[in-house]
Amino acid sequence: MKNKKIFSKAHKDYLNKYRTKKILILISQISILVLLLLAWELLSKYEIISSFFFSSPSKIVNTLVEMLHNGELMYHAKITLNETLLGFAIATGIGFVIAFVLWYSDFLRRVTEPYLVVLNSLPKIALGPIIIIWFGAGEKAIIFMCILIVIIVTIMNILNSFTSCDPQLIALAKSMGANKFQIFFKLILPNSLRDIVATLKINVGLSWIGAIMGEYLVSRAGLGYLLIYGGQVFNLNLVMTATVVLCILASMMYFAVALFEKLMSKLYK
Amino acid sequence: MNELVKIKDLNLIYQSIDSETTALENLNLTIDKNEFISIVGPSGCGKTTILSLISGLIKPTSGEITILDKTPNTKNDLCGYMFQRDNLLPWRSIEKNIYFGLEIKKQCSTDRKEYALDLAKKYGISDFLKKHPSELSGGMRQRVSLIRTLALKPELLLLDEPFSALDYQTRLQLCDDVYDIIKSENKTAILVTHDIQEAISMSDRIIVLTARPGTIKAIHKTDFDSDLSPFERRQTDKAKGLFDIIWQEIQNEKQKNI
Repeated sequence: MKNKKIFSKAHKDYLNKYRTKKILILISQISILVLLLLAWELLSKYEIISSFFFSSPSKIVNTLVEMLHNGELMYHAKITLNETLLGFAIATGIGFVIAFVLWYSDFLRRVTEPYLVVLNSLPKIALGPIIIIWFGAGEKAIIFMCILIVIIVTIMNILNSFTSCDPQLIALAKSMGANKFQIFFKLILPNSLRDIVATLKINVGLSWIGAIMGEYLVSRAGLGYLLIYGGQVFNLNLVMTATVVLCILASMMYFAVALFEKLMSKLYK
Repeated sequence: MNELVKIKDLNLIYQSIDSETTALENLNLTIDKNEFISIVGPSGCGKTTILSLISGLIKPTSGEITILDKTPNTKNDLCGYMFQRDNLLPWRSIEKNIYFGLEIKKQCSTDRKEYALDLAKKYGISDFLKKHPSELSGGMRQRVSLIRTLALKPELLLLDEPFSALDYQTRLQLCDDVYDIIKSENKTAILVTHDIQEAISMSDRIIVLTARPGTIKAIHKTDFDSDLSPFERRQTDKAKGLFDIIWQEIQNEKQKNI
């Protein structure tokens, strides 16, 4: 109905203004990137900055193409992506279940509270040596590091959302004779959906941190390994290329979650 | 008249870490079928506690409550509880909100849903069924909340200040509407309110409670002509006389606590 309405001139002007602003923002965003790349390229080309220490966009592209050809890029990216996705999925899944259990049992929630607080404030990287000794210097240790970093935040965020449901709504459901599972699935879960999606978005970032950190510690392959290796042999082209690939992969995962969010909000509209 | 609710020697003591509070003391009350009862009294006298006890949400410390000779329990379908806020679920459409109670009670059969939809049609919310609560006015939302409660076919309606969150105009209108709905569905109702005029205009009997610990101070029968709407009742001299008496009673109770 709204679409068929004939708009006044003032409304058309308003829409035009809105569109112009939107385009202007996009143009500015792109020009910043182009200008930065251009400046970087020119500065290193004329050796105003050392291309050995700073690399350059063209060198990064060259390395990228070369690594694509010899299959190295896919090999390392796959390993890191695999670790990240596994860590993300396991930590989010288990974290959700633990949050549910702690919501369900007030007793357990209060018992575990100090442990969660300590685990949350502890820098997980400090557990690196222990993790390596327990899980060996391999993929398992990296995934475990990733899970450790993601899971605590997941539990705390989701539990916090579960327990912040309006007590009046719960009283209503109770007055109708609802049991705790009904309260969870009919009230708590739909009420927390937004927070859960927000937690997923945070977890994307955290799981990349976990995987790269794990690779810094123990790996023999993966993007984190390329970064460390590239740094040690002063191959800045390799370091920059790995960083670019990391940027692309992390944003892709973020957009996947954002897409999922759109889908959910449509389902619940 | 047949008795629906019997309350005998009811006591309730709330326990907390630093004190125990006697909320209700030796409360005795009988409510007949199809009666409309209001409970008024100074703040904190245990009005809402009585509703929680009748609905079975909390258990009495001692004494007995029966509804149709059964002990109240949230699992049986004796009571329908309507709160101060409409408590509609914002992520559900109005239609799905009306079915909420049926889902909880696992009574989502087609005829129960149809009954709920009939109620919605009868009381003028059928145009909004596909909308979401945020698109409705406060008065409409409270109406939906009443339909949701009635869809469970309760014997007894417990109304906990259902109008107090609304503006004055809507409030008077909704009083009339809710009164009509309750009377035409032949329901028994207990209304808890701060508003003495509202109590007088809607009910057959008004229970005045003492300050805490709450017990019955006085019971007033209104005996209005049954043709009069709550709004019309407000205009009568009888209502004004009753208001003065009840106001004084509550005022005396308030002073006792100072």
